[in-house]
Amino acid sequence: MSRNTLEKVLYDLSTSGTHKKKFSEDPNKFLSRYQLDDKERALIREYKVRELADLGVNTMLTWGFWLQAGKSNRDYLKIMKREEA
Amino acid sequence: MARIVGGFVAPHNPVMYFNPEGASKQQSDACYAAYGIMADRIKELEVDAAIVIGCDHYILFGTECLPPYVISTGEIEGPVDQLPGLKRKPLASHGALGEHIAKVGRETGFDWTVGRALNVDHSVAVPHHLMLEPTGKDIPIVAVMLACGVDPYLPMKRAWDLGEHIAEAVASFPGDERVVVIGSGGISHHVGDERMGEVNPAFDRKVLDIVARGDKAAMLALTDEEILRDGGNGAMEIRTYACAMAATRAAGGRVIGYEPVAGWVTGMGFAELEVAA
Repeated sequence: MSRNTLEKVLYDLSTSGTHKKKFSEDPNKFLSRYQLDDKERALIREYKVRELADLGVNTMLTWGFWLQAGKSNRDYLKIMKREEA
Repeated sequence: MARIVGGFVAPHNPVMYFNPEGASKQQSDACYAAYGIMADRIKELEVDAAIVIGCDHYILFGTECLPPYVISTGEIEGPVDQLPGLKRKPLASHGALGEHIAKVGRETGFDWTVGRALNVDHSVAVPHHLMLEPTGKDIPIVAVMLACGVDPYLPMKRAWDLGEHIAEAVASFPGDERVVVIGSGGISHHVGDERMGEVNPAFDRKVLDIVARGDKAAMLALTDEEILRDGGNGAMEIRTYACAMAATRAAGGRVIGYEPVAGWVTGMGFAELEVAA
């Protein structure tokens, strides 16, 4: 488990419209390009921002990753506080 | 020779733009008034160039390469993270001054990463928008980006040393430019973590007091552990304050304003730095 590639994926998604489009169209195909294991791919595919942060992923990235998907800030904070969103 | 004639520290809070109603009218007015006071002072100082010290928010530099400190030596464009009312555009650049600082750095132990056509984020674009543009002069800038938001963080001591180096380099620039430095950053704020929205006025006032006293020892005594605990991950940006304080030779200053704006998730502190003779 490496936070480096997890951060690379989230950085790519937060800075590139092309990457965002490819991820939304086919997450598995998009994520196959990165050195991730199955568990890591699932964390990203399922927007597990709390778990990603617990692995040391920079929360500037987890927040941006969540918001770029059109999800609410209120739900993000609930999840980060380990409350039910 | 060029010389630094003034300095400031101020926030670069993007929430002001995308959620202006997050602050009360009183707090919002106070913050914008503080920016206005600083813009007026910059105009009074008859400034020819500004060195804006910002920090990447994991927007500019990715995992492939995370530079500790970057300086613009050519064209500048931003913010890459556009905001309502703050669109991406070319920003007037003083490339020659940036290149001179970088050259002096290479000769004296500061191996700058240079941006020959640098994109900047809101940490440079917001102070440019609220402090430089209102002067009515298209003041060219040198953009400096410190590693404050992404680890490995630039050590506070290194940020200070960098500021002293900037002061020395400006003094040897073959021109008569009057230069201001702007340390751009919020004080207490948590970005993206479970404490987002918490503001710590006690920590904020401690930092502003250090700035106003020009207290190098107290600034360098702030450990990353203390900053993260009391101010949050966003408060690591006060490295930009250290750099600006050092660039003005830590002569102290005056607090222009302070507002703990929970709705903007940030302790908003504003100060003018005196410049040592």
